[in-house]
Amino acid sequence: MKRVYTVAARELSSLFVSPVAYVVLTLYTLLAGFFFLLGVVSFVETLRQAQAYQAFDFLQQMNLNDALITPFLGSMSVVLIFVVPGITMGLFSSEKANGTDELLLTSPLTVWDIVLGKYLAAAVFVLLLGVLLAFFPGMLFLYGDPEVGKTAAGVLGIVLTGLAYAGIGCFASSVTRSQMIAFIFAFVILLMLLIMGAVAELGAMGNAAWLEGFLGYLSVGEHFENLALGLVDTVDVSYFFVVIAISLLLTKAAVESVRWR
Amino acid sequence: MIEARGLSKRYGDFVAVDDVTFKVGSGEVVGFLGPNGAGKTTTMRMLTGFLPPTDGTALIAGHDVFGEAQAARRAVGYLPETPPLYPEMDVQGYLKYVATIQDVPRSERAPAIDRAVERCGLGEVRRRLIGALSKGFRQRVGLAGAIVHTPPVLILDEPTVGLDPIQIQEIRSLIKELGGVGDHAVILSTHILAEVEAICDRVILIHRGRKVEDAPLADLTAGGRKLEELFARETSRDVAAPEAPAQAEGSA
Repeated sequence: MKRVYTVAARELSSLFVSPVAYVVLTLYTLLAGFFFLLGVVSFVETLRQAQAYQAFDFLQQMNLNDALITPFLGSMSVVLIFVVPGITMGLFSSEKANGTDELLLTSPLTVWDIVLGKYLAAAVFVLLLGVLLAFFPGMLFLYGDPEVGKTAAGVLGIVLTGLAYAGIGCFASSVTRSQMIAFIFAFVILLMLLIMGAVAELGAMGNAAWLEGFLGYLSVGEHFENLALGLVDTVDVSYFFVVIAISLLLTKAAVESVRWR
Repeated sequence: MIEARGLSKRYGDFVAVDDVTFKVGSGEVVGFLGPNGAGKTTTMRMLTGFLPPTDGTALIAGHDVFGEAQAARRAVGYLPETPPLYPEMDVQGYLKYVATIQDVPRSERAPAIDRAVERCGLGEVRRRLIGALSKGFRQRVGLAGAIVHTPPVLILDEPTVGLDPIQIQEIRSLIKELGGVGDHAVILSTHILAEVEAICDRVILIHRGRKVEDAPLADLTAGGRKLEELFARETSRDVAAPEAPAQAEGSA
């Protein structure tokens, strides 16, 4: 465990001396601010119109969680598909490009030490993104009274989604020596996972209900939505851990594959 | 300390290393000689456990490189052909990282790093970023990383390639010192014959993946014979005109 921590610490410090971490953090917060502002403006507009039309039933039901926080977190979960690959792209590919994979693989570190250490570094970064993001809905607690539980479940959804994406990003980085290819590869996988649910819903699979169900299960969006709606279900939470586990197993195999050739 | 038993590496039909067997004892500095593409790097990678051999075994300090990987790896200091450096780290941070992953106990890390820095002449660049260093300094940082955990076995892949004459001198005397003062077993690959004559006690010559010569340097150069002639003779055996390279080298 100490070795995992050593690898993770080096990885994190490298992330923060290179511009990548700052670019990613800046863009992410910038986009978050943009989407949040958009959400607030449209919330106010909807409120004004509902008042103008005296739609009291509607006004009664309208709340910050459903009308602002959940859509905002939804947008930010989509932003993650190009933010997370930006962090993970260099994890393994740059080791190969630097020749430092020879140092790691001939040291007493095990392949699991290396894989878990690197994943841990990416995970810490994802948590940081989660904390930054939580500030936005957090501000609403000063001016209104959103539900704490529902908001927390949504932020948890973002963090779990980010953690799953980080696993996939690790794998993408482990199969190439080019950071650019690692980024694009991860991005494409994540995009496919994201639209999988839409494909299933469109009934593109004809009458194969099981396939539709299966694709729906694979889709990140499906599970994230439940969390964003405040439904913390073991099926959804475990989905993210299954994705992480599979990704890391594949990553380990890819790192070791240098020895099969 | 280093033992190769029938090491072979095949990639499909291509035989990179073919049944290579040798031993290197402690205190010995062995030159691993051969033309480019002879299989030197592949052999060294098998000795360090980076690549598994197709056949045969490698032992480091009595430990099987794959059977007892952890123990074997702790005993090796390895400098690959391109030094494995992180350009964004400073020299001190890099050596600390290497010492940590090489299982140097926490209390011994600082003195181990000081020693490696001093031995490799890195005092003045200790706080500099590796990416900003000259090639010679990078090579020395790589070497410092290879010796920071004071391994009994050193495997150096072309340690002086691309350096200027003064840097080459410095690296050579450093390697010689490590072999002589400590009881390190050192194996270094090169295709520079003068290097072998300057620092090695023994020569292993490989050509097309096969070991073609293994003898003390003194024997090979006895009676005024030149290493160049041996090299040319052994490496041109299966080439059409064996006399041509021998003449070219012989007059040099």
